[in-house]
Amino acid sequence: MSNANSRPPVPPPTGPGSPQDVPPLPGSLPLDPATLPEPIRDELLAPDPVAIDTSSAELKDGLNHCPKCGATDIRHKPGSDLLICVYCRNEWHGARIEEEFGLGEGIDQLEGDVIASGARDIAADAASVMTFKCTGCGAEVAVNTQNAMSARCHWCRHVFGINEQVANGAVPDAVLPFRIKKDDAVARIRQFVDKRQLFALKEFKEQFTPENVVGVYLPYMIVDGRASADVGGKGEIETARYTRGSGDKKKTYYDADVYRVRRHVDFTVDDLPLESSTERGNLDTKVNTNNIINTILPFDTKNAVKWNASYLSGFSSEKRDRDVEHLRPRLEDQLLSIARAQVEDSVHRYDRGVRWETESLDVHGTRWVSMYLPVWLYSYHQPGRNGGLLHYIAVNGRTGETMGSVPVQQWKLILAALTVGTFLEGIAIWIVASQS
Amino acid sequence: MSDDSSLILLALGPAGAAGLYWGLYRHYRNTDKSHAYERETLVEARPVTGSDEKIGEVKGTQETRIRGDNVRAYRKRVQRLRGDGEREP
Repeated sequence: MSNANSRPPVPPPTGPGSPQDVPPLPGSLPLDPATLPEPIRDELLAPDPVAIDTSSAELKDGLNHCPKCGATDIRHKPGSDLLICVYCRNEWHGARIEEEFGLGEGIDQLEGDVIASGARDIAADAASVMTFKCTGCGAEVAVNTQNAMSARCHWCRHVFGINEQVANGAVPDAVLPFRIKKDDAVARIRQFVDKRQLFALKEFKEQFTPENVVGVYLPYMIVDGRASADVGGKGEIETARYTRGSGDKKKTYYDADVYRVRRHVDFTVDDLPLESSTERGNLDTKVNTNNIINTILPFDTKNAVKWNASYLSGFSSEKRDRDVEHLRPRLEDQLLSIARAQVEDSVHRYDRGVRWETESLDVHGTRWVSMYLPVWLYSYHQPGRNGGLLHYIAVNGRTGETMGSVPVQQWKLILAALTVGTFLEGIAIWIVASQS
Repeated sequence: MSDDSSLILLALGPAGAAGLYWGLYRHYRNTDKSHAYERETLVEARPVTGSDEKIGEVKGTQETRIRGDNVRAYRKRVQRLRGDGEREP
């Protein structure tokens, strides 16, 4: 685009912000490595960073004051769901919202919209910079909720977090603390990039410093839902297969029965995460690499704890700016995709496939909870047209799932492709020449 | 050897080059990846119901699959019917 202002941005092809293609199965490669030259094969076959399964620990109640000594200098203990008092080293858990609010139950009886208090609509006039009166000395302290949720009073060193829900949407219902430590995240990012060295951009390799990874709490809406879907279309079953003609003119023909196929499915979904920030929800791979952060979903949201700003000290955060109504089209899109995946098993008898032509969705009930989820983010800005491209490498702060976008040195990649192509063409020409 | 099969054989070079380029590009940039929510979300579904009605036959087609097969393209939206049967504009 030569002039960015002349036209509004083109919306993604279907579904608000959602990529159109179903992602490939984990571990599947777009190429058969056995057919490739050795250096490329080694790179493709190198192990991926391991994603661990997290399990929950029994949790108790938490306060912003240390329950033992009353100090306010409280931090999240890395690698655990614990809070630790920096003053007396006392450690304790936050309350799990799953049990606290009964979020795991009653999904099959959901009616209408249940919206948790932290997921309410953002007030139009709410500012992101808020001032608070320090409870220690009474001084006014400003907190920019755009990227931080706690501050230290510059007069009395009292640490306080934003715990009461404020109208600008910055305070969620729950937070899922980091479990993967920084060293671990750095190692995973290194391993991920080591697997992508041969054709990586030279500047990227030179400037690669995974130690600069940043821990960020990103805003999500976690949605439970109960819905019904109907799909209709046509399916074909092969009845005969025969060949006509002979020699070079031999062609295969098929006969098939055509059926009108209708399917109905009632289903519930538990803890579907949706990005509740406009910027992060835009997954257009031509202009950004947010699909990388989208790929490391899901999180073990069952282990989320009730909001406590102390979990965020030392990390940055991004503020929610989307309301339930903004996210509803995205939810419906994903529910329809889930329904289509659910009915797939029921149409296996159509061995020539099914073409779905119509679909409808009836959402009976939804439950929305806003949550901050932990992500380790490494970024590299590749200069280019229209401001270049920001490449992310993201590590799920709970499971360790790692995904990233490594900028490519185009000339190297094209040269390798041409070399392999020329080699194959040489063999082809040799075969053709020797047979004619 | 027929002309057809030599043409196919000669297309091997360009096809291999393009395939390698795209395969490696996706390995580095991962533009095809996203959250596989169809697979990774906890979904509880009641048994699927529905109907199948024979409406015709196809004779002597050369296509190996039904045209526009989208049974695995879950995310390709088709015409959306609203609750009262009205079609969306």
